[in-house]
Amino acid sequence: MRAATVAPTTAEQRAFEHWQARRRWARAGLVYALMLGFAIIFVGPLLFATISSLRTDPLAYPPTLAIPQLQPGNWTAAARLGQAGARDRWFGGFAPGAVVPFEIAYFVPDGIEVIEPEVVVPRRRPGAGLGAVLAIEFAADYAEVYDLRRLPDVPMTVGDGDLTISGRRVAYAFEVRYLGEGPEIDRLPLDVTATVGMRYLESTLTASRLERRGRTASFDNITPGVLGYVLRNYVRTFNEVRSPATLQSLFLVWIGNSFTFAFFRIVVTLAIASMAGYALARLRFRGRGLIFMLVLFSQMVPLQVLFISNYLVLRDGIVTVGDFTLSSLWGYPGGMLNSLTGLIFVTALNAGAVFIMKQFFESIPREVEEAAMIDGASHWRRYWSVVMPMARPALGALTILTFQGAWNDFFWPFIVLTSPETIKTLPIGLLSFRNTYGAVGDWGLILAGAVMSAIPVIILFIVFQRYFLEGVSFGGGKE
Amino acid sequence: MRTKRADTVAAYLFLLPFLTLLTIFFLYATVRAVYFSFTDYDLFREPNWVGFRNYLALFQDALFLSALRNSVLFALIVTAIQTFLALVMAAVLNQKVRGIGFFRAAFYMPSITSSVVITLIFLWMFQRRGLINYLNESLQRWLPILVAFVLIALVLQVLQVLWERSRALPARWTDPALLVVSLLLAGAAIWLLTTLGMLSPRDVAPVDFIWLQTRDTIPAGAPFWLSVPIPLAAIMIQNIFTTIPTFMLMYLAALQDVPKSHYEAASIDGATATQQFFRITIPSVAPVTFLVLTLSMIGTLQMFDQVAIFGDAAPLRSVVTLAYFVYNRMFPGAQTPEVGFAAAGAMFLALLTLAVVLLQRRLVRSEGY
Amino acid sequence: MRQIVIAILGLALLGGALAQQVRIMGYGGQDPAIKVRLLDEVIGASLEAEGITFTYEPLEGDYNAALFNALSAGTAGDIFYIPVETAPGIIATGKVLPLDGLIDTNAFIDSLVEAYTVDGTVYGIAKDFNTLAIHYNIDLFEEAGVEVPNAEDTWESFADKLRGVAALDADVYGACFPAGFDRFGAFAFATGWQTFDATGASNLLDPDFVEAVTWYTDLVREGVAIQPSDIGQGWTGGCFATDNVAVAIEGAWILGFLRNEAPNLQFGTTFMPIGPSGERGNFLYTVAYGVNVDSPHRDAALRVLEALTSPEAQQWVLEQGLAIPSRTELADNPFFLEDTPEAVANAVVFAGADDGNVLGFQFGTIGTDWMTPVNDALVAIMTGQSSVEAALTEAQRDLDALIQRAR
Repeated sequence: MRAATVAPTTAEQRAFEHWQARRRWARAGLVYALMLGFAIIFVGPLLFATISSLRTDPLAYPPTLAIPQLQPGNWTAAARLGQAGARDRWFGGFAPGAVVPFEIAYFVPDGIEVIEPEVVVPRRRPGAGLGAVLAIEFAADYAEVYDLRRLPDVPMTVGDGDLTISGRRVAYAFEVRYLGEGPEIDRLPLDVTATVGMRYLESTLTASRLERRGRTASFDNITPGVLGYVLRNYVRTFNEVRSPATLQSLFLVWIGNSFTFAFFRIVVTLAIASMAGYALARLRFRGRGLIFMLVLFSQMVPLQVLFISNYLVLRDGIVTVGDFTLSSLWGYPGGMLNSLTGLIFVTALNAGAVFIMKQFFESIPREVEEAAMIDGASHWRRYWSVVMPMARPALGALTILTFQGAWNDFFWPFIVLTSPETIKTLPIGLLSFRNTYGAVGDWGLILAGAVMSAIPVIILFIVFQRYFLEGVSFGGGKE
Repeated sequence: MRTKRADTVAAYLFLLPFLTLLTIFFLYATVRAVYFSFTDYDLFREPNWVGFRNYLALFQDALFLSALRNSVLFALIVTAIQTFLALVMAAVLNQKVRGIGFFRAAFYMPSITSSVVITLIFLWMFQRRGLINYLNESLQRWLPILVAFVLIALVLQVLQVLWERSRALPARWTDPALLVVSLLLAGAAIWLLTTLGMLSPRDVAPVDFIWLQTRDTIPAGAPFWLSVPIPLAAIMIQNIFTTIPTFMLMYLAALQDVPKSHYEAASIDGATATQQFFRITIPSVAPVTFLVLTLSMIGTLQMFDQVAIFGDAAPLRSVVTLAYFVYNRMFPGAQTPEVGFAAAGAMFLALLTLAVVLLQRRLVRSEGY
Repeated sequence: MRQIVIAILGLALLGGALAQQVRIMGYGGQDPAIKVRLLDEVIGASLEAEGITFTYEPLEGDYNAALFNALSAGTAGDIFYIPVETAPGIIATGKVLPLDGLIDTNAFIDSLVEAYTVDGTVYGIAKDFNTLAIHYNIDLFEEAGVEVPNAEDTWESFADKLRGVAALDADVYGACFPAGFDRFGAFAFATGWQTFDATGASNLLDPDFVEAVTWYTDLVREGVAIQPSDIGQGWTGGCFATDNVAVAIEGAWILGFLRNEAPNLQFGTTFMPIGPSGERGNFLYTVAYGVNVDSPHRDAALRVLEALTSPEAQQWVLEQGLAIPSRTELADNPFFLEDTPEAVANAVVFAGADDGNVLGFQFGTIGTDWMTPVNDALVAIMTGQSSVEAALTEAQRDLDALIQRAR
C-alpha cells in the first residue's frame, strides 16, 4: 500500500508510471538472461560434445573450444595438402604422382646441438576395432621422403617473465612423393623425430600428437583434405567400422536397422492401440473394467520383472510343442533372439499407447458415430471409416512419440540383439563403440557416433515440437 | 441384448491382438517370474522348488544390498532435487515474454535424445580430465573475481535501493531495474580491476576428482545405508539434468492455469516473491507435484540404462541398481545364470514400485485431489 | 557382445559334396584376423580337401556372458573358446563335449590340459597361453638416468627403479598397477601364497598375502605407481601407450596393442621381479577350444579343432608373433631367439610358464566373482579409505559368504 503514499499529482504520477515501466523492462531482461543461462546448461553438453567430436582426441586437456580443426589456417593447409596428395581438396588421399610439400619448425635453446630430424612414413594401422584388420595398403610402401632441407634459422625466445629461454627457430622443409604406380591410399601418416631438447613449434598441419615424450611429432594423415581433416572422426565412424563378412559400414547398417525397427513398431503400435483403444472407449462389454485396469497396472510393473520370462519366450520361439516352435511359422525355427522381428514382438505390448488412443476416442462426440450406426454400419466400418480419419492428430502424435521411443529404445534391443554386430540398432551399436573404443581412450569416434545418432530425433523435434510437448501432457494423463 | 452381445464379440475381436500380447508378455511373464523366484532355475537344468531360499539369500548378498541401497538413495535424492528444481525453474520462467517457445524447445533437448547418447556424453564429461573437472577447476581459479563481483553488486544494490527509498519510491531489495544497473556496474568495476592488475585469477592445481573408477562415497565414511557412491552421484547429476526439463514443462503448463489475480492480490498485500512462491505457487500446483513425484519415483527406481552403459567404467557395486541386479544375475558373465535369484530380486523391485504407487494413491486421496 | 562374422566364402564343392560349415565363437580383437589368415595361409587347403570350411564369430565385450547366453539359447557355435577362468562353470552346463579318445592330448603342455580336466575328463584343448612380464619404456628410463629392469631384480630393486623414473616429472609414473587380482595375483604367488590352500579355502589374512598386498598398494599410495583409471585409461597397456608410464605388467597380448596404438614406443621386456620367497610369481592365462555337445557337425568340428591346434598352425601363429603355442614341441622354435623386441617379449612370456610359482587363472566354479572382494579391498587400500588389515578382513568375510552361497 506504499504506492498510495505517493502524492497523486499528475507529474509525479507520470514519473511513477515511468518507474514502473522501467521495472517491467528490467524484469523481462533478467528473465531472458536467466532463460539464456538455462539454455546454456541444457544444450551446452550436447553442443560441447559436438564441437569436441571434431578433435583428434576429445579427451585432450584442457577442454577448449579453440581446437585445430576449427582454425581456418589448418583448413587451407588441409585442402592444399589434399590437393597435392590426391587432387582431392575435400577428402584428400595419397595417389600416384603425388608430391606433398611439408614444413616443420622447432625451437632450439642456445647450447643444444641441432641434429637433422628423422622423417619417416610409418606403417601405421588404424586404432582399435576392425580398422586394424581391414587396412591392407600402407602408404609406407609407396612413399619416399625427398629433399629434406634446413631453412634459415630465426632467433627467438620463449617463456615470459623471469623464465625466458633464448634460442632459435629451426625449420625444415621436405617433400613426400608417391613412387611409381600403385593404388590410391586414403591416408599418409608421418612421424618426424628430433633429438631431445628440440621443441616442436608448428608445422604445415598441426601435429596429431607428440610421442616419445615430445621427440616424435606424429601425424595421422598429412593429406587429409578439408573434410577429411575437420570431420575425421565422422568419416572414421562410417569407414573404419565394418562388417568383414560383407564389408558393409556397420554404422550405416545400424541406422538402417533403427529405421526399420521404428517403422514396424509404429505400424504395430498404431494398429493395436487404435483397435484396443476404440473397443475400450466405445463398446460396452463384460470385462471392460478389468482390461482397463490391466492396461493401467501393466505400465507400473518394471520391465526387469517381465524380461526374465519374455527373454525365454523369445528364445523358445514363443511356444514349443515337441519339435515345433511357433516362431518357425514366420521363419524363425531357432527362436527369435537376435532378430528385429523378435524385438518388434516383445516391444509390441504398449499399454500407454492404448491409453492415449482410448482417451482420444472418448473425446470424439458420439453423434458422429451415431449417424453411421443408423446406416447399419459394422463396428469395423465405424472404426475404420468414421473414427480413424478423425483420429489423425492423435495418430500423428502417437507416430512421433513411438518413433522417438523406438529410436531411443535401449533395454529390449540390449537384451535381444547381441549378435551378430549387423543385427544391432543404433543405441546398442553405440554401446559397442563405447566398449571397443572407450577401452583405448579413443572418444572421437564415440562422440561422433553419438552426435549423429541424435540428429534424426532432434530434427523430428524441431519440426513437430508441438507433439512432443503434448507428449508431456499425455505422460501427465497416465495417472 | 443382441447388440450387447454383438458389442462384446466385436470388442474382443478388436482387443484380440492386444490381449494376446498382454497375456504372453505380461500375465504369463509375471506368473512365471513369481514361479522362478521360488526355484533354482539356471537356464540349463530343470527348475527345482526351493521355497523362500532365494529371498533369504538376497539379504545376505553384498551385491543385492548395494543395489537396494543405491536404488533407494537414487530414487529419493533424485526425485527430491529434480522436483524442487523443476518447480523453481517453472516459477521463474512463468512469464509472458516473447520467444519462450524457442527457449522451451532448447530446454527440452536433453529429454528427447536417447539415454545412450546422453550417458555417453556425460561419461566423457566425467572422465578424470573431462569437462566437469575442468569447470570445477575454472570455478576455483576465478573464485576471487566472482566473490568480488557479487560483493560489489550487493553494495551497489543496497545503495541504490536506499537512495530510491529516500525519494519515496517503493523499491524492494530485489528491484529488477536496480539489479540490472548493479550487475552492469559491478561487471564494469571487475573489468577495471582486472585490467589494472588489482584482481587476478588464482593459480590452482588441475582438479583430478575421480568420478568413475572409485569406491568412495559421499559423505565419506558415512554408514552403508546413508552413503552415496560417487559414480552413482555422477549418474544422479545426469538424471536430474535430463529429467528436469520434462517436469518443468509439466509445471509450466499447470502454472499457466493459476489465475494471475492471485499473485496481484498477494503483491498488493506486500508479499515478496519468495512468499508468493510458497503461499500461492506450491499449493496451486500440488496435484502436479504428486504426479511428478510418482512418475519420478517409478522412473528412478527402475534406472537401468546408465548402469549398463557405464559398464566397466565404474565399479559394479558403486552403481548397481535393483533393475541392473536382476539383469546381472540373469547374465552373470563368469558363471551360470541364477534365474531364480534374479527373479527374487525382480519381485522385490516390483513390490517396491507397487508400494510407492499405493502410498501415493493414499496420500492423494487423503489430500482430496 | 560385439560380434562380427568373418565369413569365408570357401565353398568347396568337391565331388559334388557341399562343404560342411563349422561355426567358431571366440574373442574379438585380433582373433578374427588371425582366423582368416590361418585359414587362407595354413590350414584352409587341407580342410577344403575334406569338404570342411569354418566361419568365425567374435563375441566382443563380455565374452563369458555372451557365451552362456548363446549356450542356453542353443545358438552357440560348433566350436567355442573356453576361457580358463570360467572353464569349470562352462563345463558344468553340460554343453561341452568330452574329448577323451577323440583328440590326442599328450602333445600339449600338461598344466594347460589339467586346467580343462574335470573328474579325469578333458573338455578343451588350449589354443595358446600367456603369462605376465615386465614391459618397460626405454626412453623414459634413459631420460631418468635409471637402469632398465632386468631378470635379477627383486621387489626392492624393482621398486627403486620405478621410484627413480617417477621422480622425473609430476605426470610420470613408474608403473600402472590396476586394483585387480588378475594382475596383482602374480605378486601374491611370488610370496609362496596360493589361491586355495590344502583345505580348499582361500586365506587372505595369511602373512604372505598381506605382505604382497602391502608392497603392491604402498607403491600406489607413494605415487610411484598409479591405477590406470586415474589417468583415464582402461588398462595397463593404455597407460603404457601414453609414454608417461615406465612399466606395464602384461602378457604378450600387449604387443599387438602397442603395434597399433604406440608404434613409435621403444620398449623392452624382462621377467617378473623376484619375490620374498626367492621365486617369481606368475599367472597362467589360457583359452581352449571346446566342442558343442549339440553340434550338428561334430566330426567336422573335431577335425577343425585338430587343424587349429596342429603343429603347422601353431608354428605359423608363433612366427607371426601372434600367440604362444600350447604344444610342447614348439618350445625350441628359432623364433624365440630372434633379437626383435617382440620376439624377446614372446620368449620371456613363454619362459614365464615354469619359472617360479605359476598358477592358473582359475577360481573353481565361483569363477571370476572370487576376485570381487579382493579387488574391492585393493581399491580401498590404494585410495587410503581403509587399512590393509581392515580391508582384507572385510574381503575375507565377503569371500566366505560367496563360497558359502556357491555350495
